[in-house]
Amino acid sequence: MTPVPSPRFRISRHRRLAWLGSALACGLSLLGLALCWLNPAIHAPLRPGLDFTGGTQVQVERDCAPCKAVTATEIRQGLTSLNLPSAEGERAPNLSSASVQVLDGGRSLLLRLPALGADQSTALIDDLAARFGPLIKSGTSVNTIGPTLGSRLLQGSLLSLLVSFVGISVYISFSYSGIFAVLALLCLAHDVLITCGLFAWLGLLQGIEVDSLFAVSLITIAGYSVNDTVVVYDRIREQRRTLGELPLIDQVDVAVDATLTRSLYTSFTTLLPLVALIFFGGSTLFWFAVALTLGIAVGSWSSIGLAPTLLPVFAKR
Amino acid sequence: MGRQQGWFALILALTIASAALLANYGLQLGLDLRGGSQLTLQVMPAGAITRVDTEQLEAVKEVLERRINGLGVAESTLQSVGNDQLVLQLPGEQDPSQAARVLGSTALLDFRAQKPGTEEEMRGLLGLKRQAESVLRAKRPPSPGDDPTAPPPPEAPPLSQQDLSRALTSLGIEVPAGSSEVDQIELLLRETNRRILSLYGPALITGKDLTSAGRQQQATGSGWEVTLGFNREGGEKFAALTQSIAGTGRVLGIVLDGRSISEASVGEQFKVAGITGGSASISGNFSAEEARDLEVQLRGGSLPLPVKIVEVRTVGPSLGAENIRSSLVAGLSGLVLVAVFMAVVYRLPGIVAVVALSLYALFNLAIYALIPVTLTLPGIAGFILSVGIAVDANVLIFERIKEELRGGNTLIRSIDTGFSLAFSSIFDGHATGLISCGALFFLGTGLVKGFAVTLAIGLLLSLFTALTCTRTLLRLLMSYPALRRPTYFLPARQLPPAKPAAAQAGLA
Repeated sequence: MTPVPSPRFRISRHRRLAWLGSALACGLSLLGLALCWLNPAIHAPLRPGLDFTGGTQVQVERDCAPCKAVTATEIRQGLTSLNLPSAEGERAPNLSSASVQVLDGGRSLLLRLPALGADQSTALIDDLAARFGPLIKSGTSVNTIGPTLGSRLLQGSLLSLLVSFVGISVYISFSYSGIFAVLALLCLAHDVLITCGLFAWLGLLQGIEVDSLFAVSLITIAGYSVNDTVVVYDRIREQRRTLGELPLIDQVDVAVDATLTRSLYTSFTTLLPLVALIFFGGSTLFWFAVALTLGIAVGSWSSIGLAPTLLPVFAKR
Repeated sequence: MGRQQGWFALILALTIASAALLANYGLQLGLDLRGGSQLTLQVMPAGAITRVDTEQLEAVKEVLERRINGLGVAESTLQSVGNDQLVLQLPGEQDPSQAARVLGSTALLDFRAQKPGTEEEMRGLLGLKRQAESVLRAKRPPSPGDDPTAPPPPEAPPLSQQDLSRALTSLGIEVPAGSSEVDQIELLLRETNRRILSLYGPALITGKDLTSAGRQQQATGSGWEVTLGFNREGGEKFAALTQSIAGTGRVLGIVLDGRSISEASVGEQFKVAGITGGSASISGNFSAEEARDLEVQLRGGSLPLPVKIVEVRTVGPSLGAENIRSSLVAGLSGLVLVAVFMAVVYRLPGIVAVVALSLYALFNLAIYALIPVTLTLPGIAGFILSVGIAVDANVLIFERIKEELRGGNTLIRSIDTGFSLAFSSIFDGHATGLISCGALFFLGTGLVKGFAVTLAIGLLLSLFTALTCTRTLLRLLMSYPALRRPTYFLPARQLPPAKPAAAQAGLA
């Protein structure tokens, strides 16, 4: 019924360029991860945040307009002389390793400290209130994460990522074939790697840390990437019936061409709310939205330029 | 058409039910959105127990629940997580330090009698202890519950630096170089406590013998005391215990979590029958706050296993409010843009999709209210992402319909084929998404779980709305001949020139 269509856009003509682009991006990402690892201050592929390292993070907001300028060193000096209450048989933590950030032109202070007990963080906030107050009571936030909890979180995130990899590849192997699963996972790894690479560079250059939300974004990207790739696969599978005689490379071109509009529109509509989150969302979700935006952009790239074009190469028997 | 109308009635009923559900139940906001504190408690194995199992976790939880009720924080929730953790949420509570104090200690209370022949040593130790305590108290700021007009407690003779070092040497304590005075006094207190404990006999009465606990201001001085009521057996034991030491100069020790908190001598007049009546009071020179904490702990009973607070998160309500407002604005503006895009690109079906997606959002929120799902920031993010995937399902279908139309098919058949051809890719995409959600939900921690739940609900609903709502609404519209025009689906120049009459009429 359908005549053999001649695709307007042949992805296989541009496949070398597509591969080169992806290889470059992956290389840069690996370099970023390696540099991050080699950096003595980080010593991990990504700069880990409070969620993974454990510790206490105290944020206070000062009730003043305009605020008297304070410097991070000024705050840190006060910390070393602070006498924290300590529980029986335990020494009060040493605060000299604290990191201090002054945000919003001195309006809000962010302190990263070793893990503190409830009494200890109250004492610390009282001290900050006495020295830099008055503070807005409702603007105070204290987060404490025990060191074991951080590693548990990391393990949980990695494990869930791994399990979803396995689950997805089993699903694709069953409903398509093994080679489709391998390539889908390759693309997925490509998307996750490039997102991690960006944050490795951000960690190196801007001091951006990754938290548990970043882990969430990676898993989301993985899911999206597969979702996007599967649509192209579905087209190829469907065409096997009508275009069976055509070389695989042409089948791929037809499938990509037929799904191209959909892929671009879908990425565009998914990116719209995310970009809105970047611009209007709260500070808490900013880096989460950045990670998802990049991941989804890269994900739709790999499902157009990578997964289908690699198929004829790998499927050669 | 009958089946179509059936579906339409179902959609209408669901819409009304969802709206009613939302109006009646409302949404539960997580602590990151409304402000409050969250404490994670780790139950630690102790003694013969090397692994904490669910039964022990439940026992700990029961005690903690009683203590939390004693604290009187509205709407607090305590949930067990995994095998050995409990998560306590205190909405609106900005200062979790009291909760942490009250929940964190085991509160194992017992009464012991001093061993005979140790009177001299005990007197010296108690003297040191009183001195050290009063120095520490002088350095501590007054607690808010104390009556500022009350006279200060009787002062023990001040402890000079010289006395302090002599006392430390006499107890054989090595003082680390450079330690402050407070550190030294704490060292002294720890050592005296250890020695006082060694002078006591075995525990004779425990917290299990208590029936009630209360607190009152001391008749003399500004301190508070905690009052105890014993059960019958406990009362008898208490009488026997006090009788055994009455008039001897030996003391009755009250020990809480391995710390001697009160040492009382019993007067000569109780030599005959001991202190009867089944009640006692602990006058450990408590501040108002300490007395209240101890009362709550004793009422709740002691913990079968010790707990450790491994995580405390506090979010101010203003931070939460700012977050929810900006996230909502972002989400809504993003969705409005998506709606505009759909209507412009896909024309009539695009508008249908916008209606279907609005219903989709409504159903989502209704399910959040029904289950109930506590909405957190990651949860909102999961929702926004699921909207993206729901839109994708519609895009897939409409692209297919357009393709069929371009291929020269009639309108009605194009719609049917579009839906059936798009189904397999929609299904595969949703299935892989759900697999990821499952991994996240079962293996991830709190934040990640919230995200997985909203995304999974979104994916399941999106299958329903894309395949049922959009389809039913579109079919319904197609029953009006005036709307049955291919140009409502795609620009005229993309239509094949052949068979225009048949396509217009919508006939096969």
